[in-house]
Amino acid sequence: MNMEIDLDKLPLKRLEAIDEAGNEQFPLDIGYEEKRLNMVRRIDFSSVVEERDAKKQKNSKEAAGTQPWPWQSLVENLQVAQQELSIILDLINTVEANDAVTVAGMQRPKQLPHESLSDIVVSSATKLQRLRHLGRYFKQSSKALEQQVTRETRFYDSLIRLQQNWKVKRQHVGISVPGSESCFTIDLLHNSMTDLVLSSRSSILSTVHIDQDHAGVLTVKFPLRLCRRLSIEFPGFHSNHEQKSFQKGKVESVLHTREDEKMALAGEDVNEHVKDSHLILREMHRSIFQEQVFNLVNQKSYNYLPGVNVISMQDDCLQLSIGHGTYVSFRLLPSLEEEPNEKMNSNNQPQNRESGIRSTSSLGSETVDEKSYPMDYLNFPDPASLEIFLQYLFHEGVFLKFKERRTYAPRLVMPSQPTSDGCNFLGHFCMTISHRIFSMRVMSMLEGLVARVPYLHLHYHPTWHSRISSWCLSLKVPLSILHSRRRIKPSESNDLKRGFRSHFHTKVVLNGDQINVSGEGTHEVGSLRGDFAAGCLINCYSCDLVDLPMVILQQVAGQVIHWLHEEALIIGLKVSRDFLCLWFSLDQGDKLGLVANVNAGDIRGCISWWLVFDDSSMEEGKLGATDDGERRSHKFLGNLSLETLYSTLMDLVSLSVYGGGH
Amino acid sequence: MSKPGGGPTAAAAAAAAQKQKALLQRVDTDIANIVDNLNLLVNIARVNDPPVRNAQESFQMEIRAARMVQAADSLLKLVSELKQTAIFSGFASLNENVERRIGEFNRLEESTDRLLERVGGEVAASLKELETHYYSSVQRTNCQ
Repeated sequence: MNMEIDLDKLPLKRLEAIDEAGNEQFPLDIGYEEKRLNMVRRIDFSSVVEERDAKKQKNSKEAAGTQPWPWQSLVENLQVAQQELSIILDLINTVEANDAVTVAGMQRPKQLPHESLSDIVVSSATKLQRLRHLGRYFKQSSKALEQQVTRETRFYDSLIRLQQNWKVKRQHVGISVPGSESCFTIDLLHNSMTDLVLSSRSSILSTVHIDQDHAGVLTVKFPLRLCRRLSIEFPGFHSNHEQKSFQKGKVESVLHTREDEKMALAGEDVNEHVKDSHLILREMHRSIFQEQVFNLVNQKSYNYLPGVNVISMQDDCLQLSIGHGTYVSFRLLPSLEEEPNEKMNSNNQPQNRESGIRSTSSLGSETVDEKSYPMDYLNFPDPASLEIFLQYLFHEGVFLKFKERRTYAPRLVMPSQPTSDGCNFLGHFCMTISHRIFSMRVMSMLEGLVARVPYLHLHYHPTWHSRISSWCLSLKVPLSILHSRRRIKPSESNDLKRGFRSHFHTKVVLNGDQINVSGEGTHEVGSLRGDFAAGCLINCYSCDLVDLPMVILQQVAGQVIHWLHEEALIIGLKVSRDFLCLWFSLDQGDKLGLVANVNAGDIRGCISWWLVFDDSSMEEGKLGATDDGERRSHKFLGNLSLETLYSTLMDLVSLSVYGGGH
Repeated sequence: MSKPGGGPTAAAAAAAAQKQKALLQRVDTDIANIVDNLNLLVNIARVNDPPVRNAQESFQMEIRAARMVQAADSLLKLVSELKQTAIFSGFASLNENVERRIGEFNRLEESTDRLLERVGGEVAASLKELETHYYSSVQRTNCQ
């Protein structure tokens, strides 16, 4: 390779020209920068260009002879471009190193057509790729927005349905919180309940937060363990009634819906969720209501109530004595009782859980010994009915009155003003329980009497009053006797017209703890002779049951005597009637008596009959006492039916007609 | 200063009008954002003459797309807010619903009372009938 060497001239001032005047002209001094610039301009690239052209020609000749590699030209172009770029970089580095020399300007070489097209193609391809990326981004955003719309639609639909039955409130979260949204709650407390006694638990339960899960399903958060229900128990009495506690499992199945199912929720599923939410809210509302009832009962127990004494008092238990040796306890039991041995099936479906009323002996503090309970605890009212009745009394007697008071005179309401309604409410309830228990005892006693007196029928007359019970003991004359009566006196077919009846009634009314017995045809005073009006009344104000059987039996026996007396009159006998005795007048002034003997303790029959012969030599009313078992003046007939009595009467007819004899 | 004819109702109406205006402005803003950003996006997508600004243009396109999505999300939030307003501020419909429910519950109460009365009557009649049957039964008559 030939290399030309160019030597710089010595830095001497050489004379450039002399003019005619003899003046010497020296070349101008060249500045340092200009010298550098001249040196750079002296760089000659022509040799390199020539070499490149020669190589190209050579390669083209070689390529014509051999099979060309498709990327050969690209490689060559890149190599040439690399060389040129390296030269330019060197130049730039030199320029940068030499501060005196700067690039004055550069011109882009004119692009060839294919180069401009390639630039356009690259740009188009890049933009196409970006647009596709944007397309995917828009699709994802669209999907996300659609899901959000679906979520919100589902949520607000459920919220609207809840709002139809519940008081939904909106609370705005702090503005400073990024992405803050409204918080929804449900207020379970009625406006009129604010004056009533509220426990801290009720206050916590009164506000329920509404949440929205990922699928937009509305969920209601509720504290499981704070929900309680009111339970009325009789200590020592195990009720057969089992209250169904709240089905926690069903709620759990709602809350733990599978994630993949949430997004595909259909309308029916949403309805089910709304129904479950209603169920939860209803249970909480009921829990609050029952806690208010208990709190009011607890509060009113401080006041004096006749016949009611407080035995024990705890946060969730109140035990009262309501008289007659009866105890009743009011308890707040958890609505959801989790049993340790409870198991779920494989499908994670809830199982029905029923919590029975447990014996109070399981309580830690038991103040009433079970051994001191009376033995007749079988006649107890159903605790469930009592719970319903207590809540009814609270609602009607206290809640509605509070509501009316707030509606009509809101400014006059005193929150701590004691009302007599509460006292009456609890007293009325306790008296109702006492009445119900006593009523069952009375009825069991009456049933026992009726079982031992075959011709006596017991009918229960519902009074639809909580503290009044009524029964009717009817004595019906058998039809056979009625027919025979008509045979005897066919012309007098209208018995009613004559004042003769075929049935007698004894009414027993229990008002609170007072027993009133009213009968007809029982006493000589105010007799029915010629008068159809009811006979005299026998009232008994005793609270216990000791006297009642005897009173009723005497009443019934008197009615039988009355009936026999009427029958005897129909026949035409000369008869007279005493309290429980029917005397037949015989010849020679003798009397034959049919005497009723009542004995409530006789298991064979409560009413037995004696035949007494009373001659004129004996004292009236006295039975002769002889040593032998068989008395000549009176004879025991036993427990006779009405037909037997009637036939006995017929026999006495012949006796009285043909004369009396011992 | 008191405005003539002013009061709680007028103030509430003014507030409602102001709120409506604000909501409409938000709607207009969001829709304008969407339209403008779409236009800009289309402009950027045009294949221009060199010089090539691929990185810059792609960044701009992403920004425009993000703004469009943000405006759409803002519109959805606006819709959600309107729904909440309709739910909680529709006092007329709420009162009407409450009155209707009260009427339904009153009717339900009356029907329940009638039902209870009827049930009570039927129970009393059934009890009487059962008592009659019992006392006329063979088991009872054999005891006599």
